[in-house]
Amino acid sequence: MMELLEANKDMLLFTGAAVLKIGVFLNAIMGFAGLLTLAERKVSALMQDRIGPNRASVFGFAFNGLFHPAADGIKMILKEDFVPGRADKLLFTLAPFFALVPVLALFAVIPFGDYVMVFGYQLDLVIAEIPLSLFLVLALSGIAIYGVFLGGWASRSNFALLGALRGAAQMVSYEVVLGLTLVGLLMIFGTASLQDLVRAQGRLLFGWLPAWGVVVQPFAFILFFVAAIAENKRTPFDLVEGESEIIGYFMEYSSMRFAAFMFSEFVEIILVSMLSATLFFGGWQVPYLYESGFILPGGAQFPLNHYLIAALQTGAFAAKTVAFSWLLLVIRWSLPRFRFDQLMGLCWKRLLPLALLNILLTGAVLLFLGKI
Amino acid sequence: MILDLAIYLFGGLAIAATVLMIFQRDAVKAALLMLAVLLCTAVVYLALSAQLLAILQVILYAGAIMTLFIVALTALPAAWRDKPAPASFRGVLGLAAAAVLLAELLKVAGPLRAVCASKEFAETGTLGLARLLFGPFVFQFELLSLVILASIVAAVTLTARRRA
Repeated sequence: MMELLEANKDMLLFTGAAVLKIGVFLNAIMGFAGLLTLAERKVSALMQDRIGPNRASVFGFAFNGLFHPAADGIKMILKEDFVPGRADKLLFTLAPFFALVPVLALFAVIPFGDYVMVFGYQLDLVIAEIPLSLFLVLALSGIAIYGVFLGGWASRSNFALLGALRGAAQMVSYEVVLGLTLVGLLMIFGTASLQDLVRAQGRLLFGWLPAWGVVVQPFAFILFFVAAIAENKRTPFDLVEGESEIIGYFMEYSSMRFAAFMFSEFVEIILVSMLSATLFFGGWQVPYLYESGFILPGGAQFPLNHYLIAALQTGAFAAKTVAFSWLLLVIRWSLPRFRFDQLMGLCWKRLLPLALLNILLTGAVLLFLGKI
Repeated sequence: MILDLAIYLFGGLAIAATVLMIFQRDAVKAALLMLAVLLCTAVVYLALSAQLLAILQVILYAGAIMTLFIVALTALPAAWRDKPAPASFRGVLGLAAAAVLLAELLKVAGPLRAVCASKEFAETGTLGLARLLFGPFVFQFELLSLVILASIVAAVTLTARRRA
């Protein structure tokens, strides 16, 4: 037995570390998504001069509404699990999984830190470090469309189908833009691995400016962010739901099946925030913080402990994620909804040509600088 | 060992899903089974360490093409019938065609294996493959688009006749 353990030590350690990372990272995301459901209601309340949810309490303590996510969860579980009579039962059940699973799987490739040394072993702070993780992000976000479409189709309801058709058209269109905005980053950094991309963003331009994605590709960031909100199906791009007209692809869903769709939207907010931070805002990079500590442009050095540096980097990543999530919530409650022709026009007539132009300009600049 | 297991497991799943797809009368469900086939094939590519191929398979086929297929299929009146039409003699015809195709594939399988086994082939990376496709074999590669054009014409002809 001991020999077998000794022989497979590397694999066992790798598996154990992976399970640990998945447990910690996914639990953090689930907890944050739960809090986001509350934050969404609180932000909307703030912007509309209301107080927002503050009644759910445990033993008389409400903490200004902190228990509302838990109360919502319990409410969802206790509701009737309803399937419409004409619905396709198998596909109706399958659709929420299609919506939630690809999004959750994507977190495996997002780096939340550099590495920590634990008992002499190097523990990479990313669940799966694969060389083509950027493409994997695009691949799995393409699969998420099926959740929307099957949900609407399997319900056999005209309103749900209308929402699903809008959703499929919107997500397929904006995914093209999403992919094209990232080409500039690929050209500049020359890597499709998210961890390498973040490491490359730690360099300095002109000796003082961190080479973050937003610095070298400011234009692409704006396009990416717009396309990502559209991909996330949130206001101003929420025609898929359009509460005042069609209610949406999950109209016939109730109980935990509906909760899966709703929760996937909040998990997608975190995903978009993390991707924006990773691709364009240096991921876990803190400006001027290196493996040995802070080295300021003037040459001043502040050596720091290894664990403190790792904590600072992971903390910086968390802070960036929270900041982007907040921005997404504020955008949702600030802008009115587009019309469908405006939505499609924006994608194919404006964003797509601009994304192509961005690629052309990036190529021209790289050629001019002699980097190709 | 695990990789071999994954290849046989997902290869088997792909075959099972293909068979189910052929006998599935509901067009949308058949398309979904095809999606399952594409995803299983992507896993087999991954197990053969062709990562780029696996990911492109998911982005292009599973993510883009199958989505369009399924959306287009739901627009067909046939997809809205509660009970799909029973199989007619065309099913037998289809089986005969499938048998011919299978026989041809088995015939090709032998020489193909010999080509793949040669050392030169194993060292062909993505770049080498691209050079071959867009270099000496560009004519044959473009000829493939004719096959797709032919199938589009066939599809239009078939549906147009039914409408008349």
